Amino acid sequence: MVNLTIDGKKVQIEEGKTILQAAAKCEIKIPTLCYHPVVEAYGACRVCMVEVTVRGKTDLVTACNTKVQEGLDVQTGSERVLKARRLNVEMLMARAPAAEPVQELAKALGIEKTRFEIKDPQEKCILCGLCVRACETIVGASAISFIERGTERKVMPPFGEPSEACIGCTACAYFCPTGAITYEDKYGRKVIHTELHLGPTTAIRVPIRQAVPMVPLIDTEACIHFKTGECKVCTKVCDREAINHDMQDETLEVEVGTIILASGFKPFDAKRIPAYGYGHFPNVITALEFERLVNASGPTGGKIKLADGTEPKAVGIIHCVGSRDENYNEYCSRVCCMYSLKFAHLIKEKTSADVYDFYIDMRCFGKGYEEFYHRLLHEGTKFIRGRVSDITDMAMTQREEGKLIIRVEDTLLGTVRRIPVDMVILATGLEPSIDHNQLAKIFNISCSQDTFFLERHPKLAPVSTFSDGIYLAGACQAPRDIPDTVAQAGGAAAEALALADKGTFALEPVTAEIDEDLCAGCQLCVNLCPFTAITYDKEKGISVVNDALCKGCGTCVAACPSGASHQKHFRDSQIFAEIEGIFVV
Amino acid sequence: MSNGTFEPRLVGFLCNWCSYTGADLAGTARMIYAPNVRIIRVMCSGRVDPQFVLKAFKEGADGVLISGCHPGDCHYKEGNYKALRRYKLLLKMLDQFGIEKERFRLEWVSAAEGVKFQHVCNEFTEQVRKLGPLYLSKNGGKHEQREA
Amino acid sequence: MAEMAKEKAYRIHLMVCAGTGCVSNNAFGIKAALEREVKKQGLENEVLIVTTGCNGFCERGPLLVVQPGSIFYQQLTEKDIPHLVEEHFLKGRPVKKLMYTPPKEKTPVPVLSDIDFFKKQVLIALRNRGLIDPEKIDEYIARDGYKAVAKALTEMAPEQVITEIANSGLRGRGGAGFPTGLKWQMVRNAPASNGSLKYLICNGDEGDPGAFMDRSILEADPHSVIEGMVIGARAVGASEGFVYVRNEYPLAIKRMNIAIEQARDYGLLGNNILGTGFDFDIKIVRGAGAFVCGEETALIASVEGRLGEPRTRPPYPAQSGLWEKPTLINNVETWANVPIIIDRGAKWYASIGTLTSKGTKVFSLVGKINNTGLVEVPMGIALREIIYDIGGGIPGGKEFKAVQTGGPSGGCIPKEQLDLPIDYESLTAAGSMMGSGGMVVMDEDTCMVDVARYFLTFTKDESCGKCTPCREGTKAMLDIITRITEGKGTEEDLTLLEDMAHAVKDSSLCGLGKTAPNPVLTTLRYFRNEYEAHIRDRKCPAHVCRQLNVYTIDENRCLTVGKGCDLCRRNCASDAIRGAKNEAHRIVQEKCIKCGVCYDVCNFGAVKVD
Repeated sequence: MVNLTIDGKKVQIEEGKTILQAAAKCEIKIPTLCYHPVVEAYGACRVCMVEVTVRGKTDLVTACNTKVQEGLDVQTGSERVLKARRLNVEMLMARAPAAEPVQELAKALGIEKTRFEIKDPQEKCILCGLCVRACETIVGASAISFIERGTERKVMPPFGEPSEACIGCTACAYFCPTGAITYEDKYGRKVIHTELHLGPTTAIRVPIRQAVPMVPLIDTEACIHFKTGECKVCTKVCDREAINHDMQDETLEVEVGTIILASGFKPFDAKRIPAYGYGHFPNVITALEFERLVNASGPTGGKIKLADGTEPKAVGIIHCVGSRDENYNEYCSRVCCMYSLKFAHLIKEKTSADVYDFYIDMRCFGKGYEEFYHRLLHEGTKFIRGRVSDITDMAMTQREEGKLIIRVEDTLLGTVRRIPVDMVILATGLEPSIDHNQLAKIFNISCSQDTFFLERHPKLAPVSTFSDGIYLAGACQAPRDIPDTVAQAGGAAAEALALADKGTFALEPVTAEIDEDLCAGCQLCVNLCPFTAITYDKEKGISVVNDALCKGCGTCVAACPSGASHQKHFRDSQIFAEIEGIFVV
Repeated sequence: MSNGTFEPRLVGFLCNWCSYTGADLAGTARMIYAPNVRIIRVMCSGRVDPQFVLKAFKEGADGVLISGCHPGDCHYKEGNYKALRRYKLLLKMLDQFGIEKERFRLEWVSAAEGVKFQHVCNEFTEQVRKLGPLYLSKNGGKHEQREA
Repeated sequence: MAEMAKEKAYRIHLMVCAGTGCVSNNAFGIKAALEREVKKQGLENEVLIVTTGCNGFCERGPLLVVQPGSIFYQQLTEKDIPHLVEEHFLKGRPVKKLMYTPPKEKTPVPVLSDIDFFKKQVLIALRNRGLIDPEKIDEYIARDGYKAVAKALTEMAPEQVITEIANSGLRGRGGAGFPTGLKWQMVRNAPASNGSLKYLICNGDEGDPGAFMDRSILEADPHSVIEGMVIGARAVGASEGFVYVRNEYPLAIKRMNIAIEQARDYGLLGNNILGTGFDFDIKIVRGAGAFVCGEETALIASVEGRLGEPRTRPPYPAQSGLWEKPTLINNVETWANVPIIIDRGAKWYASIGTLTSKGTKVFSLVGKINNTGLVEVPMGIALREIIYDIGGGIPGGKEFKAVQTGGPSGGCIPKEQLDLPIDYESLTAAGSMMGSGGMVVMDEDTCMVDVARYFLTFTKDESCGKCTPCREGTKAMLDIITRITEGKGTEEDLTLLEDMAHAVKDSSLCGLGKTAPNPVLTTLRYFRNEYEAHIRDRKCPAHVCRQLNVYTIDENRCLTVGKGCDLCRRNCASDAIRGAKNEAHRIVQEKCIKCGVCYDVCNFGAVKVD
């Protein structure tokens, strides 16, 4: 602990702290411009200068990077300090007349006008170097630095050209105290990391408001630390020390009796249909994005807005995007009709926009669904039957100017139509989840032609798989809506419980066995067995099948050159008899 | 043999998990296909011993079909690969026996591919029909008797 | 040494100065002519031609010193050589007309040590100047070179070396004058974090306008610097050293490279120096020529490959320097002083100089002075002695006005203080500083406001731009002074200028900013009347600030003496002169742009300036 005096106040603070920190501790404000608590002090603006006396020697020092010493006597507002500070601020006013923090500081110091020559009245940069230091020490990119010397000094990327080292984190703009650094973004928004391209978020966030558990996470794809190894600003500000950048994914091994697979689905990637312009036109969005948009806890607070922040006047909803299409998925997504109707209803409810609904067939198959469709018809949603060919922004008439034009063959009218709208919602279909194939391999589950998991029997065993103890629930088995999923999940849970309660299940009866007398010990079968169920008994000089491991494929039986291996219930003799039997008739 | 057309007798070894289920699906879906293939269920196409095929031909089959899961989908991980290996070797051997290789076929039919099973059956039947009956000489085989 | 013994003995050694000054005056042409002529006369086995480093008397280059006898020839041309060789080397008759004749005297001074310029100098840092070939280590060794290293490595403990340096009273020759021994002790005591690495740096980033001491030492005697660094490395426990030289000194870099190679070959650098088990090696780092990189923290940043800008001290380089390791950084001249202190002892060194400033200091004497050159004088010598005795006074019989010491960071000392003894304290008290040793002499034709403007232009251009007061303050001060020199200054400007000079001095980050106002402050202190003349009377007393000059033509003189030669009218850029040949000419003041061409071209003194 070090004792010092600041403006007559006695302060005690840990060794190694700066005068600025000590002053903050006793609530004495020292103005700063080039200082930021998370960046290493630079001592360039010279606004934080204070007069210090130690061991009879008086000097002017910068408070931001001068360490405290025992017995230090600090004057933050002496005549000498104010004289230097005033002049420095006055000079900065001439350099950067448009910099607000400088103007405020000047006002506080009683400076009305600068006596020095103003070069550029629009200039904002005070050359505090916060951006350069942030880019180097926090981001670790070192994409910008100072060029030239003296009054010619500027902050620039190398050669004044966009730098490849820049990772576009906009940290420089964030740290800039005067707003001298601006950033450009096509969508007119600051995009560090976007939540489904709809709005800005930071790398640390609660994924969604309904997240379970409700704790923030670090998005390693957006976090600067995981890009450059630097930053870690969050650890500096979290005094609970709750942030751990070294956390790794853990692999847990849990022993269970039964397994229910409910790995769900992923929405069809609308970028695969280039004609719809998703990713190209900012106002073409997918159903899930729209769902976030209308969510009361979403980025716009539930307001339906275009990319430029205005309300749409016309919205098109395209059904069956990626579904019922030979080029993508032939199956029906089973849900897009109904959620599209919901969207149409919500748009009507929240805006005064015209809603166009492009469908192939209206499939309102559930309880109350058809009635909902009729309600929409009454609400004035315009239903157009036909598959949309493309979306373009090439206007052909005045009315189409600045709009997105949906081109569609209206199969009821038998003509091609052009519908200008402001926003297009793509009702994307359902596909098995990303790691679906991997799961299928791990659990040895067959997949049906549409790549969803195959149930044991579509009618008699709809939640079971061919492996005992593994059950299916939800959209991993087929496109499903919520009520169906809940029902199926209940069924799967009941099946799983029933088996778990019983505690045992029967082993495959069709295992292989090796006739000790016939086996020559060639070990051919040992290498063939995919389940390592066959081992070689050295003492006896024969191969032995482990009944518990054998799944009964019979590969070893077919390969045994001495006919020593048999498969129960599928013995050679039995199959021979079957063959013979076929030709008896 | 009615209508004077030759109805080949075909034996199909179908794996329990994919092809047999696929055939089942074709049935439950009420698909119509050539009834010539007599199905013998095995747990895995890897169980199909080359002897089974030879036995089938000996017993009077005009063609033999082996059908298993698609590569990578085998219920027993890799039984279908072993079936494939054996199939290729056996084809060479059948050739030496004087059995046309068109009479022996390996197909991947998944549990979901009822339609494919239908196609395979129809196609194979037609293919063997064109070849005509298989004559195996002096082996006590039952072909001659049948044709006679 | 055996090789040297084998070398032939020559009757005459010709020491051709190959310092940068003489080289630019065709020293190598002279050398070639000498070789040619010596061969022609068949003297090649009797006469050895040696190129040496800077002799110091650059004003008189190209120079040749004939040994033995130290006969000093100056301002040679290639035409002089055949005659010189024949007369002196063949016939043994020294050529008088090529010798140095002091101004106002008739008889030449043949022997170097009798010349005033050399007489009062005491050579310590420049002890080998003009005597050895800098590219031959044997010649350095023959002059007791590397004797001190042997002593420091084999007979002395590191602490003893530091005590010796401390007792000698040697202070940093880079400008600030920090006691060298104390600095070494700090580095030795510094706990070496992350391993035990410590570094050594030789600061050769000489940037002051008109200063060339470090350059001369690096070019004339690179081994003395290497030897000093090895001793320093041993004393503080450093294992790697860097010589930071500006890239504008190609000859210094070349000779330093040769010297380092030779020292390595002789086992005086690298691993296991002199068989003592001590390892130390030196690398050369070329600077890009930024003045601010002479500041130690900026220099370190530059060596590290970062932007050459200073940082706040503490921590000092002695605690955390190059790559955050304790670093000993000394100026070229300081290093060159080290070997001789170890060799001859602290007592001997401390006997030279004043109470607080020991030893000698090298100055580059330039400006309005007869004997331009490099001089090494004992501390405590009076300015008057340097300027009048060594420098030979002001040319053209003009009056001395001021001397500017310490480069752009120093100040101007007026003639009232000519008897000021040269040491760190008295120069600082006079508002100037020792600096690295620039000494610019000014005569009565110099405008002191213009001098301040000149040095501010330099510091403004060389400010790195990191801290506000230095970056903006030098620019703002320059604006004010420029205004004054253009006759647009006000009384308020003068107070503002003074306030700013104090504030910039007070609040700048590094030495550059803290000393940049010195030229302003000293000229304001000693020559305030000149500022006032510029402001109140709109006049430049020295007629330097042309915007304040009024040019007129003495019509009578123009007509009677010059016969209306019309030269001025033809040269006038702004068509401001009226008149024709054989007529009296007249300047139309409204059109005059005060370029001063008419004044310069008039051969009859008819153009007057006021």
